[in-house]
Amino acid sequence: MSGRKIMVHATWAIGKVIGTKMQKTAKVRVTRLVLDPNLLKYYNKRKTYFVHDSLEQCTVGDIVLIKALSVTRSKHVKHELSEIVYKVGRVVDPLTGKSVAGTEFVEPLSDLVLEENISLSDKLTELNISAASDSPSVQTPTS
Amino acid sequence: MPMKGRYPIRRTLEYLQKGDIIFKKKVKIMTVNYNTHGELGEGARKFVFFNIPQIQYKNPWVQIMMFKNMTPSPFLKFYLDDGEQVLVDVEGKDCKQISQHVKKILGKSDEVLHAEAQAEMQASHPANFGPKKYCLRECICEVAGQVPCPSTKPLPKEMTGKYRAKMAQSQD
Repeated sequence: MSGRKIMVHATWAIGKVIGTKMQKTAKVRVTRLVLDPNLLKYYNKRKTYFVHDSLEQCTVGDIVLIKALSVTRSKHVKHELSEIVYKVGRVVDPLTGKSVAGTEFVEPLSDLVLEENISLSDKLTELNISAASDSPSVQTPTS
Repeated sequence: MPMKGRYPIRRTLEYLQKGDIIFKKKVKIMTVNYNTHGELGEGARKFVFFNIPQIQYKNPWVQIMMFKNMTPSPFLKFYLDDGEQVLVDVEGKDCKQISQHVKKILGKSDEVLHAEAQAEMQASHPANFGPKKYCLRECICEVAGQVPCPSTKPLPKEMTGKYRAKMAQSQD
């Protein structure tokens, strides 16, 4: 009965892949914040979904965006993989587009000109001081 | 005996109900990436600490996920219903600025909220009588000062239908 229409709570969800041992299917854990009625504090409540992933591109630990399917694929699979948001070990910072490991960039940023060790003579040649005066118009006012 | 924890006011219903941001219908997922250390990410941390419970209380169907120390700079990402994604850079901002910005771009504006409140009020109009599900009162006998319900206390003879019919018949 693969033509059944699904009634799923959420059309979109984000979760972490916890298992890929099934063929073309990933097990994804989605956490939602649920209010504890007595403590009035939010805690993560987890739910696992079986997600269809036709290219088998997920590894355990990826953060993925899943989308509800219009027709259910099988008894348990009601979602499909939309995109891998953060691939484990190869996280790309969306603001700069560079690869990132934790709070550090993998390669140092190249647009910042960092101080290199220039020798003193090089610095002097840059300044270009010479004994002869350059501009003849510079004259000290004499009373 | 005071409440336990730091800033336990966050755990009061009054604080949660004071939440400002009500997302538009198309916002489905909100993701917050923030760092546990660093001066620039202080606003993001405060936002997560103070404002996230309020947002989740007012938007129970939006999935909110937090990620710590994944990228050098903090940001928010929203996933909308039509597949569109909204990225909000949050580095260096104050938590108040962040919530105002989010409210401006993806929250329902004050007029929309007002209009929705008005529409709800019309549903519970005090002048309408009917089933409890739709109206406030079922019969005028429920109102204090009106004729009580004949099921509890019989009506005076002059008000009953059969007496009136007999009087009308005897007059004709």
